[in-house]
Amino acid sequence: MSKRRPYVRPMGGWWKKNPFFVEYMVHEGTALFVAAYAVTLLVGLVRLGQGEAAWNGWLEAMKSPLSIVFHLVLLVAIAYHAITWFKLFPLTMPPMVVNGKRLEPNVVVGGGWTAAVVVALGLLAVVWRIAQ
Amino acid sequence: MSESQKIIEIEVLRYNPESDKEPHREVYKVPFSDDMSVLQGAQYIKDNFDGSLTFRWSCRMAICGSCGMMINGIPKLSCETFLRDYYPNRISIEAMAHFPIEKDLVVDLSGFIEKLESIQPYIIPREARTLEQGEYIQSPAQFNEYIQFTSCINCTLCYAACPQFGLNPDFIGPAAMALLHRYNMDSRDGGAEQRMQLVTSEEGVFNCSAVGYCSEVCPKHVDPGNAVNINKINAAKDYFLRFLSPKGGSK
Amino acid sequence: MEIFKADVVIVGGGGAGLRAAIAVAECDPKLKIALVSKVYPMRSHTVAAEGGAAGVKKPTDSFEYHFHDTVGGGDWLCEQDVVEYFVEQAPLELTQLEHWGCPWSRTEDGHVNVRAFGGMKIERTWFAADKSGFHILHTLFQTSIKYPSIKRFDEHFCVDILEEDGRCQGAVVIEMGTGEFTMIEAKSVIIATGGAGRVFRESTLGGIVTGDGMALAYRHGVALRDMEFVQYHPTCMPVTGLLFTEACRGEGGYLVNKDGYRYLQDYGLGPLQDKPKNKYMELGPRDRLSQAFFFEQQKGRTIEHPTLGSVVHLDLRHLGEAYLRERLPLIYEMAETFMGLDPAKDPIPVRPGVHYTMGGIKTDGKCAASLKGLYAIGECSSVGIHGANRLGSNSLTELLVFGKVAGVEAAKNAKSAAPGNSAALLKQAQAVEQRVMALKTKTGGSERISVIRKEMTQSMEDGCGIYRMEKTMQATCDKLAELRERFKNISIDDKSSVWNTDWLTAIELDYQLDVAQAMAHSAINRKESRGAHQRLDGYEQRDDVNFLKHSEAYYVAGAAPRIALGDVKITKSQPAARVYGAAGEKADQERKASHV
Repeated sequence: MSKRRPYVRPMGGWWKKNPFFVEYMVHEGTALFVAAYAVTLLVGLVRLGQGEAAWNGWLEAMKSPLSIVFHLVLLVAIAYHAITWFKLFPLTMPPMVVNGKRLEPNVVVGGGWTAAVVVALGLLAVVWRIAQ
Repeated sequence: MSESQKIIEIEVLRYNPESDKEPHREVYKVPFSDDMSVLQGAQYIKDNFDGSLTFRWSCRMAICGSCGMMINGIPKLSCETFLRDYYPNRISIEAMAHFPIEKDLVVDLSGFIEKLESIQPYIIPREARTLEQGEYIQSPAQFNEYIQFTSCINCTLCYAACPQFGLNPDFIGPAAMALLHRYNMDSRDGGAEQRMQLVTSEEGVFNCSAVGYCSEVCPKHVDPGNAVNINKINAAKDYFLRFLSPKGGSK
Repeated sequence: MEIFKADVVIVGGGGAGLRAAIAVAECDPKLKIALVSKVYPMRSHTVAAEGGAAGVKKPTDSFEYHFHDTVGGGDWLCEQDVVEYFVEQAPLELTQLEHWGCPWSRTEDGHVNVRAFGGMKIERTWFAADKSGFHILHTLFQTSIKYPSIKRFDEHFCVDILEEDGRCQGAVVIEMGTGEFTMIEAKSVIIATGGAGRVFRESTLGGIVTGDGMALAYRHGVALRDMEFVQYHPTCMPVTGLLFTEACRGEGGYLVNKDGYRYLQDYGLGPLQDKPKNKYMELGPRDRLSQAFFFEQQKGRTIEHPTLGSVVHLDLRHLGEAYLRERLPLIYEMAETFMGLDPAKDPIPVRPGVHYTMGGIKTDGKCAASLKGLYAIGECSSVGIHGANRLGSNSLTELLVFGKVAGVEAAKNAKSAAPGNSAALLKQAQAVEQRVMALKTKTGGSERISVIRKEMTQSMEDGCGIYRMEKTMQATCDKLAELRERFKNISIDDKSSVWNTDWLTAIELDYQLDVAQAMAHSAINRKESRGAHQRLDGYEQRDDVNFLKHSEAYYVAGAAPRIALGDVKITKSQPAARVYGAAGEKADQERKASHV
């Protein structure tokens, strides 16, 4: 009886309709580059286990122009992923209250970056000590 | 005023289920002044050009939550969006994304209302109290835990901003989850366990992939995306607690 | 036609309707409740109330004070026994709402806080920042979901109530999404449809505030009482009419004219106060403040804004951004968004706008109308607490106190009433359907809804504004009669079934014309000045001899309403001079002295 005929709009290509969604998709997409780098390192580990010759071969391969270009691409993609990942902090973290006041989103993001930089520098220092 | 009268083109996505197979666009030339909202633009069309143009509206002051629409593709309340900010370009308005269109700018909200009803959006008292005992005491810290999440006006712009809801209409979604969180965080309430089942369910928080656009478009700064994501953490905690506690987490 | 059998049908899903629904459900979970609303309940205009709800809270306050503030504020046109009940129930109902989760603003020690409001002797306005109505409405709506016996008819539009065998026994509604009719049978009918301020041009009100329920009861022979008393809120946004809450002044805001002068001291509200002082200056009652604006304008002391017209300034700058953001966040955002100014840095241009209809469907103190089985609550009703001028923050409390009363009474009636004659009711409902459908299907009309509406609202503003005169009121009465005729020749663009708002708007306009007529004719008949009804044509004084009476407008088909006068119930407060500021304080002391 009812003359209702609700029209459902298709979702195809939804992520192209809004710059915010494009950023989201690129963010998600760059996760593949993070995975690619992890695989690269994993291969190195496997080669290390296979003996000196294998390890040296892997090191050589890493020095090839193609590999350097590949790593540059990885660097850009992972940097993008990291930036957009930190941007999500205020969304994904429980609100942080200091002295009865909720921290502003940019403080939360800044805090995340600071922590990351400190941890990275710490790791670098440890590696440096071991290399000495 | 009349000679310098500015005219803006408003393109409306129209759909009449009784005569149209699918929506189509119509353009209206609307004279406007700088204080005119997009809603007033739509009202001008209805009053002067075509009385059949259909949209919801009431308060005109961004509190009743009726007049959300896509304005140049962005979910906004039309009463607090102004034509002057788009002029001299054409402005396009369309029913809120991700909802079925009933007619013109009116969408089917029944699904949203059912979700709202499903989260037990009322105080389930932690401790009963009679009227004679007066009000519950709530410290400023306790108050601040939940007050932000009470500000939701149910405008559903966050659903129009959520692609995951667009892809899976069963997803409980940002606003309903923010309301659930509002009650869970209220010191008067003791119903968090009862509500957990829904949080972890098929329709629950794990549909969210942290796009975050819901919080971006929220006109009342409720940050519903945050409510959803905090409840992912709560759900994970609940899951692991089940292994640790002899009673298990919540049911 | 669909038929739904309920025990109680409530038309209107705002604060009052929801409170009543919960009351019925709590009385007896077996009673089936139909809650009809033309919008989703949380869109109802209760949502836009800002300032707060009055109820005695402080140890220095008393029911006695709240009673006297209300009765004096209403210029002694209140039903005093009803006011007594109201002030006693107020704190209980507000506490009940707290238990249901309403986020009332609190003091540092965790108790509910109260703020100052116009015409109130002691701070007693419970508030939730400046979104009190919003929080009350959402709390009630969400709480109502707990009760399975409440069956909501969201986005259903009521086109008539059913009267059979001398009793009100149901309602006919249209499902807006389909255009289909449903008859809801019920033994008790509660009308809670809100005010009718949209019959005026510049108002604070939402588009839905069209007096539907008032017109429905009126057409069934129930009197509309005290309809001439229409409140102008003194601080509204020019052109749009959007409201800047009285709490702006309760928190310490000033009203100044073009010379930066706090002009209220010239209108019996002084002497000047630095800090907000109850019943002084900016904390005077709304009618007095709006009237003062009128005279400032006459004297040429208002600010003439190029696009906004005549305004005065609401100055909040001295309160500072942090305080404003905490106490008046909505006001802050509205000033920024809608006017492009920063209230911490700029004064806000304001002028009076129509805000509230004090009058409404006449009921007794238990919310029962003269038609058996019919109840009315909230702004659409006249239970008798507002008199000739409502005090700010009494109306939100009214929704709760009398929402509950009506729910309890309607439940009692539903349990004792004899079953109705379903066949006769259906026949009536079908006749209603035919009549309402004819409005849509008829062809050949030439009048646009928007044109008639515009002429009506302009005419009401001209004739029934802050100050009134015989000649202009007569012109408004004549205009309304003309519009009533022209309405018959209306044309509706939209002939469809689904979501036909064109058709529904026409039905609303029909309601509005009836209510407007009741207002204008009640006004012209009251030959005195009292509260919000002020005349400049030889009737400048209050006349207790002839007009300490309620006006009662009765519907007459096809003609002007018949206006009768009804008695006012006086218990303990005899009419006296209505004074504020220093004079008010003196009168208070004298009253106290005479009691000792």
